Amino acid sequence: MKLQYIAIALVALLLTSCNDFLDIRPTGKVIAQTGEEYRALLTYVYDHIPEDRGLTTLRSDEMAADASTLTGYDYDSYFDIWNWTDYNRNPTSLYFGWRRYYHTCYIANYVIEHQSEITDATDAEIKQLVGESYMLRAYMHFLLVNLYAPAYTNCEPETTRGIPLQLKADVNAILRCSSVAKVYKQILDDIETAEDYMNVEKWEKGYSYRFSKNTVSALRARVALYMGNWKLAFDEAENVLDLYPDLQDLSSSTTVKPISYESVESIMALEQVITTNISALGYVNPELLSMYRTGDQRKSTYFKAKTIKQWVLRKEKDNYDKERCTFRAGEFYLIAAEAANELGETADALKYIKALMQKRYKPNDYTTYSAALDGLDQDALRVEIAAERQREMAYQGHRWFDLRRTTQPEIIKVYTLADKTEETYTLEQADERYTLRFPQEAVEANPELEIWNN
Amino acid sequence: MNRILCSLMLLVFSTLTIVAQTRTITGRVLDGDFNNEPLIGAAIRMEFSDKNHPAAGTVSDIDGNFSISVSDKVKGFYVTFVGYATQYVKVGDKSNYNVILRADSKVMDEVVVTGYQNIERRKLTASVSTVGISEEKVGTIKNIDQALAGQVAGLSTMSSSGAPGAPVKIRIRGTASMNGTQDPLWVLDGIPLEGTDVPAMEELKDIDNIYQTSIAGINPADIENITVLKDAAATAIYGARAANGVIVITTKKGKVGKPQINLSAKLTVNPRLSLDRLNLLNSDQKVGLELDLLRTDYSYRENKGGVAEILNSLGETAAYQQGGWDVLSPEAKRQINDLRGINTDWNDALFRTVLNQEYYLSLSGGTEKVNYYTSVGWYDEQGNVRGVENNRFNMTLKTDYRINKYLKLGASVYANQRKTDTYLTDYNSFTNPIYYSRIANPYQLIYDNDGNYVYDKNVEGRAETDLDFNIMEERANTSNQRIDRSLMAIFDGQLRLHEYFKISTQFGLQYDGYKLERYAAENSYAMRYEKYDKRYNGVTFLPEGGMHKVNQGHTTQWTWKTLAEYKQTYRKHHDFEVMLGAELRKVDAETFYTLAYGYDPRTLTIQPVIFPTQDLAESNPLSSETFTENAYASFFATTSYTFKDRFTLGGSIRFDGSDVFGVAKEYRFLPLYSVSGLWRMKEEYWLKGVKQINDLSLRLSYGLQGNIDKNTSPYLVGKFDKIQILPDYIEDVIESETAPNPDLRWEKTQNINAGFDIAVLDRAIALTVDYYYRKSTDLIGMRMLPLETGFSSTTINWASMKNQGFEVGLATRNVYTPNFSWTTNINIGYNVNTVLQETVAENSTYPSREGYPVGAIFAYETAGLDEQGYPLYKTKDGRAVSAQEFFKLDKNGASQLTAAEQRELYTYMGSADPLISGGFINNFEYKNWTLNVNFTFNFGGKVRVQPSYSPLYFDRGLNTNEDILNRWTPTNTDTYLPTLMVADGVHNSEINFYENYGSFSMLDTWVKKCNYMRCQSIRLGYRFEGDWLTKLGVRSASVSLEGRNLFVIAGDYTNYLDPETMGNPYATPLPKSVIFSLNVNF
Repeated sequence: MKLQYIAIALVALLLTSCNDFLDIRPTGKVIAQTGEEYRALLTYVYDHIPEDRGLTTLRSDEMAADASTLTGYDYDSYFDIWNWTDYNRNPTSLYFGWRRYYHTCYIANYVIEHQSEITDATDAEIKQLVGESYMLRAYMHFLLVNLYAPAYTNCEPETTRGIPLQLKADVNAILRCSSVAKVYKQILDDIETAEDYMNVEKWEKGYSYRFSKNTVSALRARVALYMGNWKLAFDEAENVLDLYPDLQDLSSSTTVKPISYESVESIMALEQVITTNISALGYVNPELLSMYRTGDQRKSTYFKAKTIKQWVLRKEKDNYDKERCTFRAGEFYLIAAEAANELGETADALKYIKALMQKRYKPNDYTTYSAALDGLDQDALRVEIAAERQREMAYQGHRWFDLRRTTQPEIIKVYTLADKTEETYTLEQADERYTLRFPQEAVEANPELEIWNN
Repeated sequence: MNRILCSLMLLVFSTLTIVAQTRTITGRVLDGDFNNEPLIGAAIRMEFSDKNHPAAGTVSDIDGNFSISVSDKVKGFYVTFVGYATQYVKVGDKSNYNVILRADSKVMDEVVVTGYQNIERRKLTASVSTVGISEEKVGTIKNIDQALAGQVAGLSTMSSSGAPGAPVKIRIRGTASMNGTQDPLWVLDGIPLEGTDVPAMEELKDIDNIYQTSIAGINPADIENITVLKDAAATAIYGARAANGVIVITTKKGKVGKPQINLSAKLTVNPRLSLDRLNLLNSDQKVGLELDLLRTDYSYRENKGGVAEILNSLGETAAYQQGGWDVLSPEAKRQINDLRGINTDWNDALFRTVLNQEYYLSLSGGTEKVNYYTSVGWYDEQGNVRGVENNRFNMTLKTDYRINKYLKLGASVYANQRKTDTYLTDYNSFTNPIYYSRIANPYQLIYDNDGNYVYDKNVEGRAETDLDFNIMEERANTSNQRIDRSLMAIFDGQLRLHEYFKISTQFGLQYDGYKLERYAAENSYAMRYEKYDKRYNGVTFLPEGGMHKVNQGHTTQWTWKTLAEYKQTYRKHHDFEVMLGAELRKVDAETFYTLAYGYDPRTLTIQPVIFPTQDLAESNPLSSETFTENAYASFFATTSYTFKDRFTLGGSIRFDGSDVFGVAKEYRFLPLYSVSGLWRMKEEYWLKGVKQINDLSLRLSYGLQGNIDKNTSPYLVGKFDKIQILPDYIEDVIESETAPNPDLRWEKTQNINAGFDIAVLDRAIALTVDYYYRKSTDLIGMRMLPLETGFSSTTINWASMKNQGFEVGLATRNVYTPNFSWTTNINIGYNVNTVLQETVAENSTYPSREGYPVGAIFAYETAGLDEQGYPLYKTKDGRAVSAQEFFKLDKNGASQLTAAEQRELYTYMGSADPLISGGFINNFEYKNWTLNVNFTFNFGGKVRVQPSYSPLYFDRGLNTNEDILNRWTPTNTDTYLPTLMVADGVHNSEINFYENYGSFSMLDTWVKKCNYMRCQSIRLGYRFEGDWLTKLGVRSASVSLEGRNLFVIAGDYTNYLDPETMGNPYATPLPKSVIFSLNVNF
């Protein structure tokens, strides 16, 4: 029976050693605990912000297209976006992003909710992470409400359907839409909270895709502009310009584009603005091209001629990875000018618009064009500022939103088929298609998403 | 082993025989089930007329002969042999007796192999079925998973595809889990196998997915029998992995005797598939349809199709739309009429009749000290789809040693290599040849007059076709090869320390490796697609030349288990058995992937890819690697107590532990247990004397099984990666795309089984009936999430359900004479599955299955068509209303109903799982002839098929079945098939509805009954006999001719090839085959 005891001993040995045997850490898997790991969570969502602002270029009046540019699969994927077909779409047509924005919100909320559990990080580092999370959440909601809900300035914000706000990391929640006003209020609240938390004034160059304390005013200025809150927009734009007064000087020849993260006016370099795959879907609308006057250095900095008639975005391989821009000083000169003009502060408006123009035109041409602005009334100056904004921000994901928040004009697009016959598409003034429908898959996953009884 | 023990014992007894007045009895024992071969080691035991004599006996020798001196008081003797029915022979004046024994399926099961234990059937409390694997029993099969079709009550099989090597889905007693694996656990000679899960149906859609499970590597010819463990009493010992039942494979081993060589050859003819059943349009019909459509307002893809191409090239489209056929120019008319004349035979171009070969050679034998079994097998299969091939090479080596009276050792090695060749068919759905054969236009040419490829301009369906596709070019210029290599080694040792006590241990090592190599030459759609996909600024950045993708994977598992068994009988009537054991298991899996461009297969050289941007480099990795490891530790015990062979009580318990990341340690071990009982009424005094009843017993068991989802954690689990956002700054990121769920619990299944076995009239009728009730709670399932959560789906405890049903196995010996016998086996499984509770997401528009089967199919009940050919719906109060009214559509086609109200609109149609399934097997023997006829059947199921056409997106550039001709048109109003929809101002909201929400496929029109009975096999065999065999040195020889899957008796399956694959237009249908087989034994 001795062997019996040996067997029992053997089993006992197995029992004790088995907890070690089972302690396997799966290769590459992790549950975030340290400050570095929480940072890695945020870096992932920073890297996955949808490139939808670039895609709005296709939907706006900035891009023309014909059968030679929009071929095969691209046609099937993007034609409906270009010609504003929101119903009876081609089954293969693409949608603007949805879940990706909310995934970013989820991770942001997760960081906010777990801030007390973060280890191996200083208090300041943790606060910075939380602050950035609030900024990310605000920015995601801001992009969503501007893609999928009517423009704040062109609706009754209190009663108009906005978008669902995700304020908690909860996979079991079923969210309903909030009103446009409520969404904006939440965005402003989040920015304010973020301001309290963040303590990094400015990130070094390679990390300048992150939100920092200096970006608070920038986002708030843009939000205020979209709300038509001119006072706030003006004050915040000035705050931004106190910190970032420099503009990339195009008046003498330069290779650095304003949207490069290396440009002197770069404030935050998160979004790619427009990818080559999207910019290659069409060519620059000739009307836009004709707006660039003699001596405007931006025309050849931004674009290049592909054929005599067709110009395309200038995007060199070497610069491809460098061209990221969420905020840059140029935008805030324009916001300051526009807001000042709306507030009746003509002198301020002229000051800011001319400061921008000085760096964009050849010196002689600048003198001519800036002199022409003097003495214009508010309406005329508004037109000029808008035109300058259109030229300055072309192909950078602003135009569609500018159209929405301002006059929502009629747009006509002509598509030339291979056999030279032409098809005409019209987006009427204040057309409901200035607001995107929720993506089909979002409605399918939440059928009551579109229901709004306010 | 039992046979050796038996003979040893009897040898000992025989020496003790007291010789009084003696006579000598001689004779020969022959195997009536195996060509009247001599049976070696059969026991002969004398019966005396008075009780004062000790038993005398002997065993048959190597030629089956026996000779024994016995007292003249002997009045008869018994001849017994394990696995065969015992025969009683009356002793008369004769002194020489020939005894022919026949295998008895009941007796064969005297010892049931569970993989952990060998349980005597008389003590078996569980519900198990054993199938002996022989050609007579299951016919000629390619893979063992095919062997079980229709053989075991309660086990249903579904062929995923008829493609070579495609796995078979097996379900035991219905579906118990939704999310976790639903496949049973496979055990080979005691070692559970890895890599046996069959992928979801969706992934098996194309022949390109040449996935094989590790089961496919086992040669059916090496298998002795398969035991299916069905209830908790049997499976609890296997723990969490056994929730879906267990299939235990026992391989052949050498028998004591001189070496035997077994050689078999099989030739299989698979005739070409016929597409006739699909009712596809011929050229004349198709051209007519295109002409008709051009004159309507239906404009979807109006430039597609041969007619539009001709009219556009001649500039007569507008004229035709206005004026019709008569206004066309003679040239246009001629060209269109020419089109009608072309009828490309896609059937012939893509499919073929094939001849397959299989060879098997085995050498086996043994002595009392050692036995051996060695086999090699070669199998070569050509697919019915041209360009698809599959082969397998097997080798098995098994040896058992009896070292001394305490120690036995054994070693087995199973090795195989499988190779599948096909071509790239997954670049687009239409590149699948099965699917392409259904959508290619009948007038589409393959080659032009100069022999150049003609590209199909219609099949891409896109506005402009810039990637040329020709399926012949694809077949010639691409390849897709998968090589699987498997090795399994099992070592076992048994130490019998004492009469009552033994320790046994078993170590199994399984290695599976595969290499999947995909190649596309420069001139192929696949390569053109690849280049199109990898562009920068509209120009591809890939180098000239082909593409070479290689996936490699290796899975290694080892299992080591040790058992201690104690068995004792107290006071004659009380049998106790206790077994304790522990098991450790570790599984490592690694995969590698490499991708190269500019590949030249002759020189094996590649060209570097110059990525224009960091982004593109990151999103197109040229190589990747994964590694996972899992460890499991389990402890288990079983016990049983038997009283007077009448009552047996059994119990088992198992603790399963595994590494689970991100889960508290106390959840690591889950206890699973079972208790069971057996009452053998036949052993009761009041039944013992009833000669008509040979067996009657009752069984009852209860058990708890469980499972946990290892992929879902209560915490946000992420994966490390590295990325670059701004140049030169590479950063760590954690990708967290799996939704966490803190509320996830164990999935539990309670299992009750009650059954009885009865055999009457000298076992001419044997019946086994089982009733089972399985209640599963906290089932783990995938739920779609509103995208606003940031995730698309998560895993939750979503439901509980019950499966209950009956299983009936009836074996009858209808006729039994020396020259002719007829036996029948019928097995029927009747399973009712009911979902007891289901957490339907608030956002779901599809109804809850509460109170319905888990495979419930819901559809919108239609009520014919309206005046314009749009579907009408039947409301709950029986009215026929339009879609607009039914769904309360707004102008955008969105329903104004809440999700809950939308759920109410559905009507229950039936279940996707059959209510009744089973098999009907008849065996006839006449002299040397045998005839086996096997049928399998499935009744009471429904299937949702794909609509024949989409009313909005019917693509006139593709072929379809004749349903399109019967659609509603102003001149064809007496039909149930809706019109092709065109915005007309009246139905706009309906059109938007059908477009946006894909609801058209939810109409009851597309739900069909799925009842069928398949003639699995008809086999005629002949056994040669005569002196000429012996002269040639042949012990036995036989030939057979078998037809497999010759026909299906089914309800309506018009427009489909086979009722079993109705729901899947991509699957290769099950081939018919005729097999000639030759068996020679030396």
